[in-house]
Amino acid sequence: MATNTPTDTAGFYQDASGLRSEEMILNMGPQHPSTSGVLRLVLTLDGETVIQCTPVIGYLHRGMEKIFENRPYIHGARYIDNADYLNPMINETAYVGAIEAIMGIEPPRRAQYIRLLVSELARIASHLVAIGTYGLDLGAFTPILWCFRDREGIMDLFESLSGHRFTHNYMRPGGVVHDFPRGWLQQCETWLDRFESVSIPELHELLTGNEIFDARTQGVGYIDPQQALAHGITGPNLRASGVNFDLRVARPYGAYREIAVRPQVRQEGDCFARYSVRMQEMAESVRLCRVAMDKMPGGSISQRVPLALRPPRGEAYYAVETGRGELGIYMISDGSEYPWRAKIRSPSFLNLQVLPELMRGNKIGDVIAILGSIDIDLGDVDR
Amino acid sequence: MDIAPRAAGATGAPSLLAYDRDHINELLNALAQLDEQAGQPTPKRRLNAGIVGIEIAPERLVATARFLRDSLGFEMLTSISGVDMIEHLEAAYHFRSISQNWLVQVRVKTSSDDPQIPSLVGLYTSANWLERETYDLFGIRFIGHPDLRRMLLDDEFEGHPLRKNFVTTPTVVHDRATTQVDAIRAVSGEQQRRQERVVLKRLGQGQQERIHPGMTTFGSEAVFLETGQGVGTDANAMHGYTIDEQYLEDPVMKPQEG
Repeated sequence: MATNTPTDTAGFYQDASGLRSEEMILNMGPQHPSTSGVLRLVLTLDGETVIQCTPVIGYLHRGMEKIFENRPYIHGARYIDNADYLNPMINETAYVGAIEAIMGIEPPRRAQYIRLLVSELARIASHLVAIGTYGLDLGAFTPILWCFRDREGIMDLFESLSGHRFTHNYMRPGGVVHDFPRGWLQQCETWLDRFESVSIPELHELLTGNEIFDARTQGVGYIDPQQALAHGITGPNLRASGVNFDLRVARPYGAYREIAVRPQVRQEGDCFARYSVRMQEMAESVRLCRVAMDKMPGGSISQRVPLALRPPRGEAYYAVETGRGELGIYMISDGSEYPWRAKIRSPSFLNLQVLPELMRGNKIGDVIAILGSIDIDLGDVDR
Repeated sequence: MDIAPRAAGATGAPSLLAYDRDHINELLNALAQLDEQAGQPTPKRRLNAGIVGIEIAPERLVATARFLRDSLGFEMLTSISGVDMIEHLEAAYHFRSISQNWLVQVRVKTSSDDPQIPSLVGLYTSANWLERETYDLFGIRFIGHPDLRRMLLDDEFEGHPLRKNFVTTPTVVHDRATTQVDAIRAVSGEQQRRQERVVLKRLGQGQQERIHPGMTTFGSEAVFLETGQGVGTDANAMHGYTIDEQYLEDPVMKPQEG
C-alpha cells in the first residue's frame, strides 16, 4: 500500500515528516523453507509493506499432461500420484473416474466405499501436513512433529493396503487393486479412535487458543466470497469465505452419493478461518471413515476391465474434492490405448492466483502467514 | 479428428442424486437463449455427470460468457483446457454455477496456424493464469489478455509442448556427465562405434503412428542415431532396447534444424 507519494523519479517516497523510503525488490524462493516447495515470490516492498507480489511458478513442471498422452491409460493412474503428492489416493480416484466416465462403467459398491475410506484418510493426511507446516511457518515447532507422527499412521495403513507408502498405485479403472489385508479395518479403527480422542484435542490446545497464533492469523488475508469465486478458488479456502460449496455434496461421486457429507463452512474469510475449516474437516473425515467402515458392503472390489484398455471415443470431465479443492480431469479418448488429452485442473494452481491481491498492502511478516494458509502444493501447481 | 458424442443411454450410466434429469433440462432450456442470440442453433449435448457441452465460434465467446455469468449465474470459470485436434486447435472452457449447481463445457475451435481466441480476463479473474497456461502449452493467443506470457515454462522455451507436432527430443543434445559425447560428433559417428547406441526418436511427431516405448515405428518420423558410448537419451535406450542391425547400416539421418 503505497500511501506515500513519490517525490522524485528515482522511486523514492517521502511522507509528511520528510522521511524517505525506497522501493526494494525482495526475491523469496524458489528455495525457501516456508514456500512449501519450489515457489518463487518476487516481492516489491516499500519499507515493510508489500506493494506488489509476483508469484513465479513452473520449477516443478514435469509435463505430466504430455506424458499421459504417450503412455497407456493405466500408467497415468500411477503417475498422477505425483501431481498433488500430499493426497495421492484422491488424485488416482479422479483419474480412473474420468476413464470410467468415458467407458460408462461404474466400480462395484465395495470398491466405491473403499475409495471413499481411503480418500478421507488421505484428506486427513493432507490437512495434517497443511496445519503442521502452517504452525511451523508461524513459529510453533511442536505441531509439525505431532502432525507428522499422526500422518505416519495413515502412511502405514496405506502401505499395508497398497504396498506403497506414498505413491500408492491403488486405483484401477473399474475398482481398486487389493482388498483390505487381515486386521486392516481394526488397525484403522484404532488409529481413528486415537486421532479423534487424543490428537485433534492436542492440536486444538496447541494452536487454536494460542495467543500468538490468533494474533498472526485472525483478520489477516481476508478473501471476499465474490473474489474467491472470480478467482476460481475451491476447497477449504472457498468454504472459509462463507461459500457453501463442496463437490462431495454438490456433485457427489462414488460412495458420496450414499454417505452424506456435512460441509464445513466459516464466514470470516481470514487465515484463521481457513485453518479452522481444515480442523473441522478432519473431524468430519473421521466421522465419514467410521460411517464407511460400518456400511462397508461385501462383494467384489473390481469390475472386469480389459488389461489393454481402449475406452471408446468420447470425453469426460470428472471432478473430485481433494484436500485443496476441485481436482478435475478432462479426458478425451480417441478410441486407442492412449489418452488423446488428459488435462489436470488442479486446485492449487487456481488458489495461488489470488496471492498477489492478498499480499498487497500487508506487512512482510504476514506474507508467510497468508501463503501458508492457502495451503498450496507445488506439485499440484506445476504438474 | 472429431469426437463422436456418446450414444444416449450409454451402458451403465451412473445414477445421479444432486442433479437429476429435470435439473439438466432446466439448464438446456436456459441455454436455448443462446440460439436466439446467435441466430442459429448451438450444438448441445450431455456429457458425464450432468455436464452440458456446447460448441460456439470464437467470436461469440465473450458474449456467451457474459450471458452465462450475468443471466444464468455462472460465477466461476473453472478450467480452460487446450486440445490439439491436428486439423484445428480447441479450447474447452468449464463454467460452474454454484448457486444453481450447473456445469457447462464450452468448446471453441480455432485454427492451428494462427490460433486466436478472445480473452475472458475482463469477465473472470481466474482466466488470467488459465489463459497464460493454455498459451504456454498450446500457443493459443488470447486477444485482449493484459499479460500473455509463458506460465509454466521458461520464457526462452521454443515451441508449445502440448501440440501434437511438438518434438520432445531436443534437437540440441548437450554434453552429459555420463557420456561426454558431443552431439555433432555423436551424429557423425566419430566416436567409437557400437559400444552402445542412443536412439533418438521424434516422439509426439505423428501421434497416428503411436510411437511409444516398447513399440518401434520405422519411418520418416523415427530417426535413429548411432552414437558412441551413450547412455540413453530415450526411455527405450534406458530400458536396454536396441534396434535392428539393418537400420544401423542406413545412412544416418541428421536431425532437422529448429
